[in-house]
This record gives sequence, structure tokens and C-alpha cells, in this order.
Amino acid sequence: MASLKRADFPLPDLSDERTTEFFAGAARGELVIPKCDSCGAFCWYPEERCLKCDGDAFTWTAVDGHGRLYSWAVVRRAFLPAFEEMVPFVTGLVALDADPTVRIVSYVVDCDPDALAADQPLDVVFRDLRFPTVPDRAVPVPMFVPA
Amino acid sequence: MSDWGHATELDDISGQVAIAGIGETEYTKASGRTAREIGVEAAERAIADAGLEPTDIDGLSWNGAFADFDADAFHEHFGTSHDLWTSRWGGGMTWAGTAPHLAAQAIADGKARHVLNVFPVAWATQRGSMTGGPGETHAAQPLKQNLEVPFGWFPQPVYFATIMRRHMLEFGTTEEQFGAIAVACRRNANHNPTAVMHEKKMTLDDYLASPLLADPLRMFDSCLISDGGAAYITTSLERARDLAQPPAVVAGVGEGNAESGGHWSQQQEFTSTPQVFSAPPAFKMAGLAPGDVDVLTVYDPFTVVSMMQIEDMGFCEKGAAGEFVEGDTLHHDGELAFNTHGGLLSHAYVLGIAHVVEVVKQIRGTAPAQVPGCEVGVYGGYTGGMASTLILTEDR
Ligand SMILES: [Zn+2]
Repeated sequence: MASLKRADFPLPDLSDERTTEFFAGAARGELVIPKCDSCGAFCWYPEERCLKCDGDAFTWTAVDGHGRLYSWAVVRRAFLPAFEEMVPFVTGLVALDADPTVRIVSYVVDCDPDALAADQPLDVVFRDLRFPTVPDRAVPVPMFVPA
Repeated sequence: MSDWGHATELDDISGQVAIAGIGETEYTKASGRTAREIGVEAAERAIADAGLEPTDIDGLSWNGAFADFDADAFHEHFGTSHDLWTSRWGGGMTWAGTAPHLAAQAIADGKARHVLNVFPVAWATQRGSMTGGPGETHAAQPLKQNLEVPFGWFPQPVYFATIMRRHMLEFGTTEEQFGAIAVACRRNANHNPTAVMHEKKMTLDDYLASPLLADPLRMFDSCLISDGGAAYITTSLERARDLAQPPAVVAGVGEGNAESGGHWSQQQEFTSTPQVFSAPPAFKMAGLAPGDVDVLTVYDPFTVVSMMQIEDMGFCEKGAAGEFVEGDTLHHDGELAFNTHGGLLSHAYVLGIAHVVEVVKQIRGTAPAQVPGCEVGVYGGYTGGMASTLILTEDR
């Protein structure tokens, strides 16, 4: 179990090797997903083995940042102190055009929450994620905006 | 539809074993007690209920992920040291439904005669000291901590708000229909003196006025956080007939597994549960169908989990549960008596163990909101990527 005592929680733990490449990609403006070297399937989340063929070697592969809004929540209660100044915010699942079985969890920003619609097209943007509870730290992450 | 998971192959044990004893602690908000204390109390009461002695218990199951109660706790409390067949794959959640199958195998193999399954939780107390609880348990998982929590997709109310919205989008399910589930559970709890929400009434208007935690999910769509625990004893049907209580016969057991991993965000059948795989073999083992069920209890952390399981277990078509649950269908005196003790929403959040105990009471005819002539009762367990189905019947 990963520690919740990390000083930068709830920013992502950039030292966790399973997700290092994902955040390194975001820092250079790329959305990268592990692709199984054996069967070619995108494997998300980055598990130790491919759920389709049990392969254990992956290549992080850039995909275009287009997707569709699979579902979302408008979060009104701040479940962590870090979220207190952010509520209400929209977080949801974006099914990538590159492979709709891959759902990226992220914020939908620059939108009217009441105007969101099922399966509407979204585009990735890369923004700095900051929390007031973690001063002076920012991590570039993929977020999504209406296309 | 059905290529996203599978059923665990389970030996047919229909009619071989029965639940012969049940024990419950008080169900409360923060009690200051430890889960270990709660667990041994539930165990003691189940043993007494069956008319057994602690030394008669020769098999013990609990949930290894919650190390609060185990064989050491048992022996320390009862001052015993005898050999126990043990399994860490019992306890609550989905395993509250499959522990009787594990017990049946141990009994058939001659490894045990009386198997006690125990699940205690003290999350209400722990929440005060921030040392545990459902949110923290999840946030500690590295993939969630890095790919979900930073993106505000945390904790459980947010996951299930997202599932709920997709159910609304795909099937036209309405907030009033989700509310009907919450109101039914509350009304049932109002009949049950041990329910945490026993004294508190709730109407559909109250439901609609409750705060949106994560739109479309409201506070009253959500389970309680509680202290409490329960236990039950499985033994051979033959042996159960000699004990103090009428047997609740284990007629069918099923277990279903999703193959898209354990993360809600990646479940490919997002608005379904692995009940799709669990319920049919359980009903087949029992020689029964959903239409034969007198009482249904399902693991219900949020109203949408009830909605999905009612569909996936075959009580109505997929996507039709919204209409099905409207009005008083799910009330204890309704068409499908559902979570008659009040469920996780209005009885207590003890992760399914009290659901199984409630089904046993209904079979015995001793439940506070008793369904007249209850002969068949079902528990639907759910733990994300897994589901279980336990069918209990009267001894006939
Ligand atoms: Zn593969």
C-alpha cells in the first residue's frame, strides 16, 4: 500500500514506476498509454500483465488526444482538503478514440457542467495540476475540454 | 454481453449444509470499540444461538484483508487452543455469500463440522481518528492514488455517481427511481429496532432534498459509516437439524468475476455487475428462479448498486430496474421484499454480513420486518470486480 503521508498528496507520486511514463508524457504534451508488445492491445490501467493475453512487456505509445465523454460527476462535496477551493468541479471518464475501451480519468474543464452530454467529443489539453494544500508544486497532467 | 467475465466453477452443494447459528453486535455510529472486540462478541452470540460451545467450533473464516479478527482473536477471547480449519476468504462483502460454500467443502472433506464466519468493522470509530475507512483503503492503492485521486475521481461516492449517470444516460433511469430504493430501505429500517436509522423517517421529497455530494449522487443514495459486526455458523444439514434453531438450508451459491480488472473506471460493462455471471449458476444449483424469491438482500453501498444487481440477477430486464423499483415494490410488504433490515443505506454499513443474517432470520420467520411465509431468501454480494449469490431456503 502506498503511503498517504506523502507531503505532495494528492498530487500523483512521480516516483511510482508504473505511472512515471504517463506523467512524463504529459510533461512533454503527449498522451501515452501502454501497448502490449505481444498482442498490440492498449492496456489501461498499467497492470503488471496484459488482461487480454497475459503478456508482460509494454511500450508506452502516444495516442491522439481525441475522445468521448463516457460519464461524469459534478463533485460538490470536497472529499479531501485539497479539493476545497475547487468544488464544484467535473471529473469523469473519457473513452479514447484510439481505443474506446481505454478510459482516462480526468477533469473536464472550460465547460458548462449543465451542458455536458453523453459521448460528446472532447480533446486533451495539458495543464498544471496544483493544490493549495501542496504549495509550490505543480504536475502537468492531461485534462479534457469540449471539442 | 456476457464475454466480459466468468463464473467461478463451484461444486454443487445444494442441500448439503445449512446456516445453524447467527450472532450480531449492536450496530452504531462511532462506538469507541475495536473491530476485534466486535468480532468476538458476534462470534460468541452466533455460537450461543446455535446451542454450541466455543470448543465445538472447528472451522473459522474471516476476511484476510481486514486482519482485525482472526483465529488468534477467537482463541484469546474464548481461552481455547484447539485446532481450527481456517480460511481468510470469508467475512463480508462478496465473501459473505461464498463462505458457506468454503465451509461445505471443509465439512465434506472432514476437516470441520461447525464453521464460523465472522465479519466486524469499526470504521465509524476509525474515521474519527483518520486511521481507516473505505476512502483511505482505496486512496492507498497506488494506481488509484496516481490515476484517480489527483483527478478528483475519489472516493466511492464519485465512482458511483459516474456509474449512476451512465445508467441514467443509457436507460433513462430517473433520480426519483433511485430515490425509491433509498425510501424502501429506510421504511424497512424503520421496522427494525437494531437499524441505525430506525427512528428516522424518509420520504421521496426528503430524498430529493438531500445534498448532492457528486451530482447525480445524493447523500441519501449513500451508505452509512458504522461500527458493528455479525457472524454465522455453517454445518451439515443433518447436524443443523439437531441444533437449537431451524436450519436455513444453503440451496445455491454462485460467484462471478469481471475480466476487466478491479477498477471501476475500466469496467467495460460499466452499468453491470458480475451478478450477470454469479446469479444464474446459483439459481441453477438451487433449482429455483428469481420469481421464486421471497426476500432479496443485496450489498448496497449506493442505490445504483442495488439497481444494477436487481437487473443482473434477473429480477427484471437489463435497464428496466428504474421502472421496476418505483413506488413500494421493494418495501418489506411490496412485490419484491428487498433489504428488509434496511441494508447498508439505512441499517448499518457492515459490508454485507448483516444481509446474510437477515436472510436467515426471514427463513426462520423471526425478522423484524418479516415477510409472511418466506421460504426462499437471497443475498447478492458485490465487491467491484466480483459478485456472489447465496440462496437460502426453508428446510423442506
Ligand atoms: Zn496482450
